[in-house]
Amino acid sequence: MKKYFMLSSVLFLSGALAACNGGDEENLENAGEVAGNNANESNESNESNDDEVETGEVETDVEATGDESVELEIWIHQTNEDETAFYVDRIDAFNEAEDDIHVTTEVIIDDGASAYSDSVNASLVAGELPDVLAIDGPYTASFADADVIQSIDEYISDEDQDDFVDSIIQQGTYDGSLYTLGAMEGSAGLFYNKEIFEEEGIEAPTSIDDAWDWDEFLDVAKELTTEERYGLNLFFDDVGEFMTFTGAPFIWSNNGALIAEDGSTADGYLNGPESVEAFEFVSTLFDEEVVSQSPPETQFQEGEAAMALTGPWMGLMAEDADMDWGIIPYPEKERAVSPSGSMAYGMTADSENPDEAYELLAWMTNEESAEGLSEVTGMPPSRESVFDSMEKYDDEPWSVIREQVTETAQARPATPAYPVLTDAFSEIYSAAAQDVDMQEIADQEVERVERELERFAD
Amino acid sequence: MGCEEIMKQKKLLKSHKSQEAFTGYLFLAPALVLLSIFLLYPIGTMFYYSLTDFYILSPDDRSFVGFENFIRIFSDAQFLNAFGNTVYFAVIIVPVQMSVALGLAILVNKNIKGRTFFRTAFFSPVVMSLVVVSILWTFLYNPSEGLFNEILGAVGIPEQPFLTSPDQAMNSIIVMSIWQGAGFQMLIFLAGLQNIPEHLYEAAEIDGASMWQKFLHVTLPGLKNVSLFIFITITIAAFKLLVQPMIMTQGGPLGSTQSLVYEIYETGFNYRDVGYASSMAVVFTLIVLIVAIIQRKVASEERGS
Repeated sequence: MKKYFMLSSVLFLSGALAACNGGDEENLENAGEVAGNNANESNESNESNDDEVETGEVETDVEATGDESVELEIWIHQTNEDETAFYVDRIDAFNEAEDDIHVTTEVIIDDGASAYSDSVNASLVAGELPDVLAIDGPYTASFADADVIQSIDEYISDEDQDDFVDSIIQQGTYDGSLYTLGAMEGSAGLFYNKEIFEEEGIEAPTSIDDAWDWDEFLDVAKELTTEERYGLNLFFDDVGEFMTFTGAPFIWSNNGALIAEDGSTADGYLNGPESVEAFEFVSTLFDEEVVSQSPPETQFQEGEAAMALTGPWMGLMAEDADMDWGIIPYPEKERAVSPSGSMAYGMTADSENPDEAYELLAWMTNEESAEGLSEVTGMPPSRESVFDSMEKYDDEPWSVIREQVTETAQARPATPAYPVLTDAFSEIYSAAAQDVDMQEIADQEVERVERELERFAD
Repeated sequence: MGCEEIMKQKKLLKSHKSQEAFTGYLFLAPALVLLSIFLLYPIGTMFYYSLTDFYILSPDDRSFVGFENFIRIFSDAQFLNAFGNTVYFAVIIVPVQMSVALGLAILVNKNIKGRTFFRTAFFSPVVMSLVVVSILWTFLYNPSEGLFNEILGAVGIPEQPFLTSPDQAMNSIIVMSIWQGAGFQMLIFLAGLQNIPEHLYEAAEIDGASMWQKFLHVTLPGLKNVSLFIFITITIAAFKLLVQPMIMTQGGPLGSTQSLVYEIYETGFNYRDVGYASSMAVVFTLIVLIVAIIQRKVASEERGS
């Protein structure tokens, strides 16, 4: 008995201490000290990847009555500093423009793998989500299905919605309702080294109408491959979402699909004949040794690969490397399809101020944001009007990206089972580099997807 | 009077004792509180979650599913593959890493020039972050530009797909892991070696024992306790394999380097299936526990004989 008493009194004591701490924090008026505290806390919990950034001015508007001011929180992802700086600037501008809304920003590291979603998941379980958060586009459905984010149908005007390219609306829509919007779109094409193409006397198509079909693509890749150089770089060491982003159009282009239209099953789709044929085509690229399984990071910039199938960021890298480069549309089979999708914003279902939260979401995805972000990241904008206002997209090579985004872009499937589906896809896709039966691998992976789909079947 | 006095003293003594106990518990408190919050509570919730269908995106909507998760584990090809890979990793790395560490310890225990340099050199990989080491070795293993293949190429051996072939990837990770870890066990072996009394070697010499015999009959028995400690710690560490495949291969190619812990991590965080991941973690805990118990049993029997 005594022992238990001791233990409980100790627990009580520690509880009281914790309570004291909490009180102290609340009482601290000085923003600097609060930030310091937060830093300590995050160190203790080993979450040094979280960074609290206070934006806007420190409450100087004494005249405004505190009651009218709405506090919002937004989470943004950080992949590179320029991009983050841009987001923070935009939020600062929002704070300045809106007298009665004050937004706090939290920057969360996004390593391209799962660091960002790990943070979001943890906060979700703890029930501490912000009002607006950045979400990787294809994950919209899973957040919407779980009622973590809410539909923005009733907030957005038709006119505004029309300005977004179709693929962004497709990406943000689940079950007939629109949930997320992004300021930038993604796309991928064949970046090519003009010098090498000239040497080899190969003419590069510059519009979707003359896009190569698979056979032409393979032939050219073979022709460009020499002792010292690969014809193509597929960045096959980048296992994960990148694979689904750049690889899925091979299937769509062959009139295949990753999952049934109604999202009920992947059986007969991800492992269907059209899909397997597409996987086998990728396999052929490896059999013919026109592409490396673990390419060095700067293979393309150093002329060790003549073409690279990747996103617009390669344009900036090629520019930095001072090379003469261009973009060839994504190769096609039965129809022209191109990759699509990028980070988007959703507003959480629990937000206490949905009207203001939408205002913030709309601000982060308006023309100014879309154009500025495109300039900083090199990613195409998500709005038609911004394409019109950016001269860069009128001419080659970026005109190819514009054409793809506005005409052939297809969003990745909107299913709550997406986390498992995309993993299954990249398992099959990456197996194309191995000497295996693609049908067998596809069947195995479909089994996993089917089991995951059961969770969401009602 | 006398009686009362004694009673009083007894009471005093008692209160003094309980006061002492109280102080003792007070000293224990910080550790106890931390252990409860960061170890006992998570372990408890793990057992609880393993019996539910906890999905991260709907934390409030979880229901009790009994042993369903556990039944699923044993027919889950992915889990079984990860289990097999982890056992393979452990079975290879435990004896090899121990031998390498012992060999290094004996070498740097010799009275040779630059002994301190070698000790530091062999130990230095241990100080480096495993993540950094994994990234560096990924470069070394690169087929076209990596150092290893360049060396092999210079002596006429064709390019090896160290990390991109399902047959080689796990072995490549094992080699790297031994390079990174062996220095630590070397240090412990070294301490053990220096604890063996010199006169035993002298006696063996007088009996005309050869180098090998001295090693077999003096050194090895002298290292028994140290070896046991190293054996158990390497085994448990081997079962916890995570960072190397995560950084170097993402569990591929063809799942050949997927480890148990990595599988648990992916299931819980990437696929958001906390319930199922917890049940895997329970199974993992039991496996490690059983291995540790068997090792202890075997060791204590040996000690007894």
